Amino acid sequence: MVSLDDIPLGATVRVRDVSGSDPVAIRLLEMGLTPGSDVRLLGRAPFGDPLELEVRGYRLSIRRQEAARVSVGDR
Amino acid sequence: MARATGDGDPVTVALLGNPNVGKSTLFTSLAGIPTRVGNYPGVTVEEKVGRFVHRGRRIDLIDLPGTYSLSPQSPDENVAVDVLRGAMNGVPRPDCVVVVADATNLERNLYLATQTLELGLPVVLALTLSDVADRRGIRIDSDLLSRRLGCPVIRVAATTGEGIAAIRDRMLEVLGTPPSAARLVTSTAPNDSDAEAGRSPAARDAIARYAAIKRLLAGVVAMAPPAGKLMEDRIDALLTHRLWGTLIFAAVMLAIFASIFWLASPLMELVSTGMEWVSAFVGGLLPDGAVRSLIVDGILAGVAGSVIFVPQIALLFLFIAILEGCGYLSRAAYLMDRLLVAAGLSGKSFIPLLSSFACAIPGIMAARTIENHRDRLLTILVAPLMSCSARLPVYLLLCGAFVPDRPVGFSWLPLKAVVLAGLYALGVVVAAAVALLLSRTVFKGPPQPFVMELPGWRWPRPAVVLERVREAAWSFLMNAGTLIVAVSIVIWALMSYPRNDQAIDNDVVSLRMSLEAAAAGSDDALDRAELVAELAALDTPEGLAAARRGAAQRQSFLGRAGRFIEPVVRPLGWDWRIGCAAIASFPAREVVLGTLGVIYNLGDLDPAEAEGATALERRLKAARWDGTNRRVFTLPVALSIMVFFALCAQCASTLVVIGRETGSWVWPVVTFTYMTVLAWLGAFAIYQFGTAVGW
Repeated sequence: MVSLDDIPLGATVRVRDVSGSDPVAIRLLEMGLTPGSDVRLLGRAPFGDPLELEVRGYRLSIRRQEAARVSVGDR
Repeated sequence: MARATGDGDPVTVALLGNPNVGKSTLFTSLAGIPTRVGNYPGVTVEEKVGRFVHRGRRIDLIDLPGTYSLSPQSPDENVAVDVLRGAMNGVPRPDCVVVVADATNLERNLYLATQTLELGLPVVLALTLSDVADRRGIRIDSDLLSRRLGCPVIRVAATTGEGIAAIRDRMLEVLGTPPSAARLVTSTAPNDSDAEAGRSPAARDAIARYAAIKRLLAGVVAMAPPAGKLMEDRIDALLTHRLWGTLIFAAVMLAIFASIFWLASPLMELVSTGMEWVSAFVGGLLPDGAVRSLIVDGILAGVAGSVIFVPQIALLFLFIAILEGCGYLSRAAYLMDRLLVAAGLSGKSFIPLLSSFACAIPGIMAARTIENHRDRLLTILVAPLMSCSARLPVYLLLCGAFVPDRPVGFSWLPLKAVVLAGLYALGVVVAAAVALLLSRTVFKGPPQPFVMELPGWRWPRPAVVLERVREAAWSFLMNAGTLIVAVSIVIWALMSYPRNDQAIDNDVVSLRMSLEAAAAGSDDALDRAELVAELAALDTPEGLAAARRGAAQRQSFLGRAGRFIEPVVRPLGWDWRIGCAAIASFPAREVVLGTLGVIYNLGDLDPAEAEGATALERRLKAARWDGTNRRVFTLPVALSIMVFFALCAQCASTLVVIGRETGSWVWPVVTFTYMTVLAWLGAFAIYQFGTAVGW
């Protein structure tokens, strides 16, 4: 399964699931990374982390550690 | 006509919204300058209340902390939820909630809005940045949205003031009428699918809510993107560009640092000149004696010592407010995050720590921009380790006088510069180590999500920027400033008493005798010249006064404390005089040079001026251990003093501000203790090592 932290720059993918039910997972869902939503990787910060994503028409920054919990697939 | 106080019971209105949606701007537009700014009881979450009268009713507007969701995950969000439920001590349950939603990002903003509607409180939805949405071609049918949500929906545009009057009207009209539409998310029971089975109720609620918002927005939002690129988008593209974005970031950070390091100094100069003038004026009105000394050296010196920080605080908050207003503060945190994660901190710690190289006080105050409480506290605790501008004169004088003027090894690097750079690096490395250690031990907790919106470019509102600057300066003066004055008075008393003129006379006599003996026994021409000069000075009125001042200080509680702690500072290579100066510099590090001047009978010299610095340098070079011919200041001793001052917490104002910003006296005590222990260990290590290898 591909996770959000290893998709190529500029790629748009569809969220399949967010693993876990701890506060981090809930916050990712609350920010709009729900199953079925589309996400684009806009960029990475100078040291490769965190990531800049586009989701639901806005830009969201999360760390790779959190991105790894979001499994994604093709649209 | 409305009476100034309003009729009947005041109406409590809460202002709620995601971070970065123009909530502060709306607050300022609705209520102007807040009537009360403080902390909620027991937590360090800012409470801001504004008051205004509309249609004869008094309205108390509570600005709730920015929050993404009502299922709270941070102290800030807990506060918002507690206030809305009426569970916050001393805050009445709101009669109405104004939910602020960014019109350019409605989908995610409605997440919080729909949660709020389910609380059963009357709601008014304010669509901020509506003018920006118009320019982007985002058309929102607010009537349809209003019918579907069951609450008034008002378009707001800060640039034109559109919607402000309507919000004021609606918040009174909806009183007593909770939202009329049905709950958006009715059931979060798992359905039959396998994926749903493993999810928690909170996760199911989030997924169901977004699905419901999608249905809700069908037909409400229409997109017709404009043909050309908008100005905002052009600026945004530049700021997020890989190369240009990074260069601009570096330039902006450099500008912030330069402004508080250099730009603030003429203003600080002005403050101190003004205060000197006031002191001289007041001093001239009073007869010489204890009362004048208390007023001039205690109270006025304390006032000057706190007002002096205002220019740096105001400048830093001016920059922060502008960056916040542009939406750039989040991007700065995003760009620097990785670097600070390595030290157990987060990207938001960058600006506070950078500012601390100029002065820890504005730096610690800037930590208010860090929402995460663990990161905020850690940042505050290590900020004083950054070498501030007050340490620089100490480094410069001691490096100049005692570090040999030669290159390092076979390189061309001058040793003096390497030592200076090393002292700065020492602070950074120790801060990183302390932050990392604390984050892995004392502050170890469940992982905190770093999930942050990166808002697009927008123009900052001058009124909001100025209010932020005013608030920062005012809260510093009112909270910390008053305490700094109190501390200054206590220290003045400890430095002035007890005072015994007979003992001072005796001290001067014995000083003369020991100088004569030393001059006769000295075999170093330079030293002898300095001793003879010091002897000759005793025959002048100024020299005698300086010697008497030194004697008085040595007799005071602080002077005695210096002698008392001599066994503790001996392993650092210090004599009791240096110990004395270190203790006396508790009000502020830079005082150490002036104190050394007084202790070495030079009177009140100004180490910032070349003349004062050279006089002090000469006197320090000639200083001997009592009753011996051994020099006090050698290279290892100078290094030991500099390392001590690099790491110690000798700055009462910083400790006061830490106490105020964390709302607890535990943290200043912790900071002082750990920094003093580290400073002692560092000084001990460098002195012992330097002595062992024969520097």
